[in-house]
Amino acid sequence: MSAIHCHQLCKTFKQGDEIITGLDHVDLTIETGEFVCLSGPSGSGKTTLLNAIGGLDTPDSGEIHMGDIRIDQLERGALADMRLRHIGFVFQAYNLIPVLSAQENVEFVMQVQGVSAQERARKAREILQEVGLEGMEDRRPAQLSGGQQQRVAVARAIVSHPDLVLADEPTANLDSVASAHLMGLFASLNEHHRITFVISTHDKRVMGYARRLIGMRDGKIISDETQ
Amino acid sequence: MAVFRLNFNTLLTLSWRNLWRNYRRTGIMLGAIAIGVWAMIFMTALMRGMVDDMLNQGIRNLPGHIQIQHPDFLDDPNVVNSIAEPSGELLLVLKQSGTKRWATRIKVAAVIASERETRGINLLGIEPDAEADISGLPALISEGRFLETNQDKGIVIGAKLAERLETRLGKRVVVMSQDPDNNLSERGFRIVGIYRAKMPGLEEFNVYTARDTLQQLLHIEGRVSQIILVDEDYREIEPLYEKISQATPPGLDTRTWYQIDSYLAAMFNMMDGFVLVWVVIIFLALSFGLVNTLVMAIFERIREIGLIQALGMRPALIVYQILLESLLLLLIGLAIGNSLAVATVKPLESGLDISIVAEGMAMMGVSSMLYPNLTLYDMVLANSVVIILGILTSILPAWRAASLDPVRALNTN
Amino acid sequence: MKNVTLRMAWRNLWRHGKRTWLTVGAMIFSNTLLVFSISLQFGSYDMMINNSLQAFSGHIQLQHPRYLKQPKMRYAVPAINARAQGLREQLGMSAISARATGFALASSEERSYGLQIIGVDANHEPLVSTLPGLVKRGRYLQAEAVEEIVIGSVLARNLKVEIGDELTFIGSGFDDSFAAGVVRVVGIFESGISDLDRSMAQVNLGYFQDVFAMQGQGHSIVIRARHIEDVDPLMSSLSITTANLDNLAVRHWDELQPGLRQAIQADMTSAWFMYIVLIVLVAFSVLNTQLMSVLERTREFGTMMALGLKPARLARLIMLETGLMTGLGLIIGIGIGALLTGYLSVVGFSYPGMAEMADKFNLPDHMYPTISTLSLILGPGIVALGSLLAAIYPALRLNRLRPIEAMRAV
Repeated sequence: MSAIHCHQLCKTFKQGDEIITGLDHVDLTIETGEFVCLSGPSGSGKTTLLNAIGGLDTPDSGEIHMGDIRIDQLERGALADMRLRHIGFVFQAYNLIPVLSAQENVEFVMQVQGVSAQERARKAREILQEVGLEGMEDRRPAQLSGGQQQRVAVARAIVSHPDLVLADEPTANLDSVASAHLMGLFASLNEHHRITFVISTHDKRVMGYARRLIGMRDGKIISDETQ
Repeated sequence: MAVFRLNFNTLLTLSWRNLWRNYRRTGIMLGAIAIGVWAMIFMTALMRGMVDDMLNQGIRNLPGHIQIQHPDFLDDPNVVNSIAEPSGELLLVLKQSGTKRWATRIKVAAVIASERETRGINLLGIEPDAEADISGLPALISEGRFLETNQDKGIVIGAKLAERLETRLGKRVVVMSQDPDNNLSERGFRIVGIYRAKMPGLEEFNVYTARDTLQQLLHIEGRVSQIILVDEDYREIEPLYEKISQATPPGLDTRTWYQIDSYLAAMFNMMDGFVLVWVVIIFLALSFGLVNTLVMAIFERIREIGLIQALGMRPALIVYQILLESLLLLLIGLAIGNSLAVATVKPLESGLDISIVAEGMAMMGVSSMLYPNLTLYDMVLANSVVIILGILTSILPAWRAASLDPVRALNTN
Repeated sequence: MKNVTLRMAWRNLWRHGKRTWLTVGAMIFSNTLLVFSISLQFGSYDMMINNSLQAFSGHIQLQHPRYLKQPKMRYAVPAINARAQGLREQLGMSAISARATGFALASSEERSYGLQIIGVDANHEPLVSTLPGLVKRGRYLQAEAVEEIVIGSVLARNLKVEIGDELTFIGSGFDDSFAAGVVRVVGIFESGISDLDRSMAQVNLGYFQDVFAMQGQGHSIVIRARHIEDVDPLMSSLSITTANLDNLAVRHWDELQPGLRQAIQADMTSAWFMYIVLIVLVAFSVLNTQLMSVLERTREFGTMMALGLKPARLARLIMLETGLMTGLGLIIGIGIGALLTGYLSVVGFSYPGMAEMADKFNLPDHMYPTISTLSLILGPGIVALGSLLAAIYPALRLNRLRPIEAMRAV
């Protein structure tokens, strides 16, 4: 799987009587292995862009390619499969399935993929260790702190080696220590596994980790700097 | 379906745990399903018991599963409409047919008089040996003895009739009836036995004598009113009926119990329909709660469903997961409901006393003890209706959950 | 809606419109069903009672105190005609008729059968019984004529007699004397009630008294009330006056035909078992909905309590919400039930096998449910009551709520 190309993406929402512009003719290319931060005030279109790339939301017009595949034209089932095999998600909050333990949450995606039980268990343990949650495998989400929950979410997002991880304000509910820990984890995964990261944030500290910083406002890209 | 099989464990885990997240709601719903299922099975067992009793009683009063008689006899039960005792091919077939029991009998209207009172009765001339299988009468003797041979000179009357006639065991009564030439024949009999019928009405009318004795009285030696056949099971008498009706000489009429008594036939035929209607009505009353529970369970988890979709679970799997949740709920409810039904019906199987409405039940043809009849068929029916309709009812909420827009679902509060 | 609490309750219901409708739906379903089947029950009971009582036994009978248990010729009422006339004057009603009952063996040219022979007052009998009107061939008895008999259709067929044929009957009279007579068949009735059609015959009371040596006595004075509701008041006035004076027993129809009342009771019991199951299931639905609604609003209730509302007030809110929901289910359920039942009460309905069953209970083979205020209100009323009872538990839970904890709840 390879680079992502967005071409002239447009998306509007209705909120009451108002029409809100989510994306306004966005053109964007992200190469494999990049570590990208989308920044901008809330309502600037970051989340909409992430959702469009992840196939959770379809743009009104424009094209999204991931390698040879037109994501915006896939049907729901195929999109689900694509997310399952190629994309990991980390959301701002409520990342985990509350009835499953940390270990089971990580195994969940693999289970749907059809990975064998032993392999699942082994991989999940390894990855939880890697994100620093050794010994907490059997806890349910409610028994974990916010930072720990986010790390479980990250573990789940990367456990089956996706090409792309999309993280939407992953640090919004974390204190600065936990944020730093999480971003460090992202950076190291990016480096060691060559996973592409696209992270939306309006946290200055997070932007510090980015190697490419894209600024958005009112659904448009207003800056794009590689650091 | 391969995907489904692969992921069954995952789905099962998710469904099972989700079920107990809101244990109060699940508990209440389980309670409702259990009570509903209990009511379905319990009520059905009572109704079955009642109808079985009604049919058994009714068939014993007819009596028999199959009757052979003169074509005019049912319409005009007179001594002139008699038939010859079976012989030739019919006798052969009767002996070989595998029928559990067969016998001939005479049935005429008569008048019985004691020293004080006179009453109209139904006079039966029977073969005492066969009577246990045909009408079950020997077991009902409360005083004295039952008739012993086809030539017995005694008479057996009901307790109620004895009371009406102001007579008792050992006393003599005079019986008058008409012979084929319309001459009144009369004869004194000693009361050798008194019976108590399960249905009080009969005690007053049916009076039993031995067949040969009655033939003599009526001057119809060698002739009888009916040939009565009893098979193993009244539900399955078609083969016997086929065999017998082919062997019956022309001019005789062979009929099954359901041809003779349309009320019994109607009860028999309606019962299955009634059970189904009852089960479906209860299910419908339950279905509102079931859908409500699912809708609420989904509503609370919208964000989570969005998440699962975002993680790449196909919509079909989400449908399966919710259906599985519904199925688990139904299965647990069914297990409780079935056990409850069995636990309540079993102790009643020795008989439920409903003699407080005995005469009303007699009007319906039922005796005053009710024996609930828990049949496998009815249990399977109730359980399958609940599971099949339950799953069908759950499809809509499940499908709606699966078609949630993940972005919206994730942003729900 | 001026009342703020009421407005709040109403709006709260529609926060989860789907859930509310599902709960109300369960009520509507049950209410519709209950209205229909209770109307049907009432209708068929009335018909069963009327058809059975009006055919012959009447609503009330005055008899010798021992006659009910032992219907023997010697337990007779003296000077029965005068007494019946006295009652007619006293009560100011004409539907009162005297009867005498005996047993006889009747013979035609070809056949003999035992039969119940009733001596009737031909002038008043048609006012207490429908049998005289059911004479299908020939005519009913005439007051002055003697040596005439009216018999049931099955009996006529069994005896092989037609209008104009002679019947000889023999029985024993009041003084155990031999009673015999020759009568001419003038009418054949067909009531559809097999016991009557098979074994009953009627002759004039005067003639009966002569033949059976009754010396002016009879066995029962039959009274037919205008409506079934009039029976009880009539009974009490009769017991006070006549019975004590004349040493007669006043018999209510349910003593005369105990099977009827019991058949109705048995049917009632099984029907109510079914109704109660339905009602309990609806109550569970309400319990579920209201408990969920209380639990998910914990934070909101906490805030309201912090503002100074007492738990009792909140409990009232929950009850009010339930009440509104119940009212909705009640009105719509009764509405649909009334429409459905009303429609069927006009066109009637039947199901396979019903004709045979109806026949057994003297009912026509199409059923026509009768709508009454009671049959509309009874079932839905109990559903509403059950629903309100079910809401008590969720409402009471509010007492356990502590504002600070509640406000922290999610």
